[in-house]
Amino acid sequence: MTRVMKNVAGLMATALLLAACGTPNDEAQGTILGQLRQAVGPTVTRATGRGAEAPAAAAAPLSADEMAARALAANPAPLILVGLESSGATQVMAMVGDNSGMRTYMTPNEQALIIRGGMLTGTKGLGHDLSVAEVDNVAALIRSRRAGQTTRINRYLGGDGVERPLQMTCTVAIGGGKGFAFAGTSWNATQVVETCEGGGVEVQNSYLVSASGQIPVSRQWISPALGYVTIQTIRP
Amino acid sequence: MRRFRPLLLTSTALLSASVTAVGVAAPTFGQTLNSYGMPGAIDTPTAVAPPEGELSATVSNSDYGRRVTLSFQPVPRLTTALRYAKIDGIDPKRDALYDRSFDLQFQLLNEQPGWQPSLAIGLRDFMGTGVYSGEYLVATKTVTPRVRVSAGIGWGRLAGAWRRTDYTDEGGKPNVDDWFTGSAKPFASVEWQATDNLSVLAEYSYDDYLPEVEGGADEVDSKLNLGINYRIGDTYQLGAYTIGGKTFGIKGTVALNARKSAFPSGLEPAPAPVRPRPAPSADPEGWSGAWSADPTAQPAIQTALSKALKGEGQVLESMALSSNRAEVRIRNLRYNMQAEAIGRTARLMTRALPPSVETFVITSMENGLATSSVVLRRSDIERLENTASAHIAQRAQIVDGEPRPADLVYSPGIYPKFNWGIKPYLSLGMFDPDDPLRYEVGAELSAKYEIAPGLILSGTIRQRAFGNSDQKAPGNMTPDEYDDLGIDENEYGVPRVRSDSRMYAGNNRPTVPRLTLAWYAKPTPTTYSRVTVGLLERAYGGVSGEILWKPVDSRLALGAEINRVRKRDFEKAFEFRDYEVTTGHVSAYYDFGSGIWGQIDVGQYLAGDVGATVALNREFENGWRVGAYASKTDLSEEEYGEGSFDKGIKLSIPLTWAIGQPSTRRIGGDIRSLSRDGGSRVRVDGRLYELVRQNQTNKLYDGWGKFWR
Repeated sequence: MTRVMKNVAGLMATALLLAACGTPNDEAQGTILGQLRQAVGPTVTRATGRGAEAPAAAAAPLSADEMAARALAANPAPLILVGLESSGATQVMAMVGDNSGMRTYMTPNEQALIIRGGMLTGTKGLGHDLSVAEVDNVAALIRSRRAGQTTRINRYLGGDGVERPLQMTCTVAIGGGKGFAFAGTSWNATQVVETCEGGGVEVQNSYLVSASGQIPVSRQWISPALGYVTIQTIRP
Repeated sequence: MRRFRPLLLTSTALLSASVTAVGVAAPTFGQTLNSYGMPGAIDTPTAVAPPEGELSATVSNSDYGRRVTLSFQPVPRLTTALRYAKIDGIDPKRDALYDRSFDLQFQLLNEQPGWQPSLAIGLRDFMGTGVYSGEYLVATKTVTPRVRVSAGIGWGRLAGAWRRTDYTDEGGKPNVDDWFTGSAKPFASVEWQATDNLSVLAEYSYDDYLPEVEGGADEVDSKLNLGINYRIGDTYQLGAYTIGGKTFGIKGTVALNARKSAFPSGLEPAPAPVRPRPAPSADPEGWSGAWSADPTAQPAIQTALSKALKGEGQVLESMALSSNRAEVRIRNLRYNMQAEAIGRTARLMTRALPPSVETFVITSMENGLATSSVVLRRSDIERLENTASAHIAQRAQIVDGEPRPADLVYSPGIYPKFNWGIKPYLSLGMFDPDDPLRYEVGAELSAKYEIAPGLILSGTIRQRAFGNSDQKAPGNMTPDEYDDLGIDENEYGVPRVRSDSRMYAGNNRPTVPRLTLAWYAKPTPTTYSRVTVGLLERAYGGVSGEILWKPVDSRLALGAEINRVRKRDFEKAFEFRDYEVTTGHVSAYYDFGSGIWGQIDVGQYLAGDVGATVALNREFENGWRVGAYASKTDLSEEEYGEGSFDKGIKLSIPLTWAIGQPSTRRIGGDIRSLSRDGGSRVRVDGRLYELVRQNQTNKLYDGWGKFWR
């Protein structure tokens, strides 16, 4: 958290204290006013991603490689660099859990991406999350760099708290090869494009896939409200 | 503990067969609401059903009066409305008529491509004084993507045949004899969607506004009404219209939908992920269960888990641990959906418990009561993490909470426990004919002392700061005269149990709205009990006892309550008036499925009257709830007074739905008919059914989509 954000948080805490006081940590005692105040700050930050990002960017915009280098030095865990296109925010996420290949990456403010074999299968804490993407079929094509047509199911929570499926038909196409280096690793990868259609939306996910089936770089769709996220592997 | 797999109730939450078109553009035509706040053009209705779960508030104002309407779509075909209107000059008792009215509209046919129009039947102002009383049958057809026409036949006001209001009647009953009687006349309307936001409206209506004209308004000189309607997103509508060319009106609407939220998946941080167990060869001691012989193991685990759960807004009240099974008893202070609290607790358990523990039991506690236990296999949690929530739902067992498990260890510092807080309060009273908006603002100090599991001493003290809610006596007496009179009865000899409730208002000294000692217990795995002693509510103090039978997966629940109460002094916190009564009910609760549940109470009410209350609620999966209730007792309509019998509407919305941040708080209100003495119950806190129901099978399944959130 940057210093600016700390001050904002301090202000919010003060406002909350003015609105209500009592036994600390008893959540049931908060006021609606306090809840709303509490809500506004993080909402802005989370929804736009700018709360944490803007002051840093204003001070000294870091290049992706610089962010990657700093993260590599600071954190021994697998790392990815994630850019949320709808907000323009870019940040480093570190792996905090690995359950049989299903990896959970988190930001310091505890927003998470769930990634299995390079394929985005969920997000948490973004407000319009992808609850779960069932991508086994399409992942088999993409990771083996084979063209074809298959299905995926994305599931979303509605405003009523009900999880509903969005069934999509996907066409996988193979593009050209490409060699590049990022965060100190050199990659030789083939471009794979997955075009999916269903429920009135059409989206296009693109991946760079290595010969071993790794996906060092990708641009994947989260949800109608959040759009696309770009994911680059810093440390596999 | 009974080990059975509960029947999967037909909760819509798990039958997620319906695919919502997440990305489909909204239909071109919105739900234009008329000046009565119902689907329509200007005054006339259209056969258009708003989306299920839509709640809208509409204010319209013209020389013919002001109408404030709350309309709600509980099920796809039914539109309901409660209206509060002010019409100048026509009430013989007051300067203006302040009138409530209720509407119903039912969609008989939905529009189909081809020739079939939509068709609806409706009742406007179908009970009570009936100043707007009218019925209709209406058909609507979208003829081009931008033009929609409607035509219908109307009775009552819609035919220009006002059913003259009888002011001697106490009102409040359905006027069945009037429905679809008298002359019938046609009406028609056309809506042209000029731009995506702007509609131009024209209608032909026979309503001659006779009551308003008799009250002094201009005569209607044309049957043609014109208007425009401007929409801002799905939420706001602004409109202007003319009635018959000479009278102008404006209206505005705010619409909310239970199924649409600003942040559908919530803004709460991601949970800690599952920590898979190491291979047995990597941790032979952990897998063997030998650790459980170490007396320091459980305290260490319980302390660590308790700390982690606290970070998730969960209180670990107690824990039972053996080499292969762990039960945690949690109190959820943060998440609106109990399933989310359980899902997060389960993941934290994978991080805290040794590998040999395979069975996880997560028991949801409310006021010391074990309201349900969810039994999970640790291997299922590991295998199904972040998959469709229906998978883990199929593997989870929801069972009755064991009242007193033998090996339970309470977390240190849980009992006794003291909590307090100060916060501002705002109390609002609306829709009183004599005083349309009353409010009071002040500070509230609340404190709670949990002496032992289920034994809770709690109370509040309020200090008014300002407001216009003053002390007022019933009839034409001053408060002092009424207080001195000492006879708390109306002219028919009915005890004034609520009609003098404003005698409790306007106190500038500290008041004690509530101060009680409550004891909650669970005599058997399926029964719950409560005894509350003290100042139960602002107007009554005494003893209240309740018992409830509610198996965890049962649609039916049965309860009984008995109270011996005495009326409290209007001003002095610890003194009482002479009126004392025994009041009690037997209750049956039933969950009909599809988010509809009801309640019937039969018994003796506060005024000693005997009767029954029927309540019906529409509750969405996320806890959004709109309910209606009515009570009829053996008091005659004259004894009861204006309104004839007690009825009202309750609205309750989870705060999380509105702000996206996790919270168990709810916002809402109770729109009841006039505060009368018949059919009134003691307002004691902590009634068992709602306390228990939130954590039981049906509601858990409703919120199950958030298990992995």
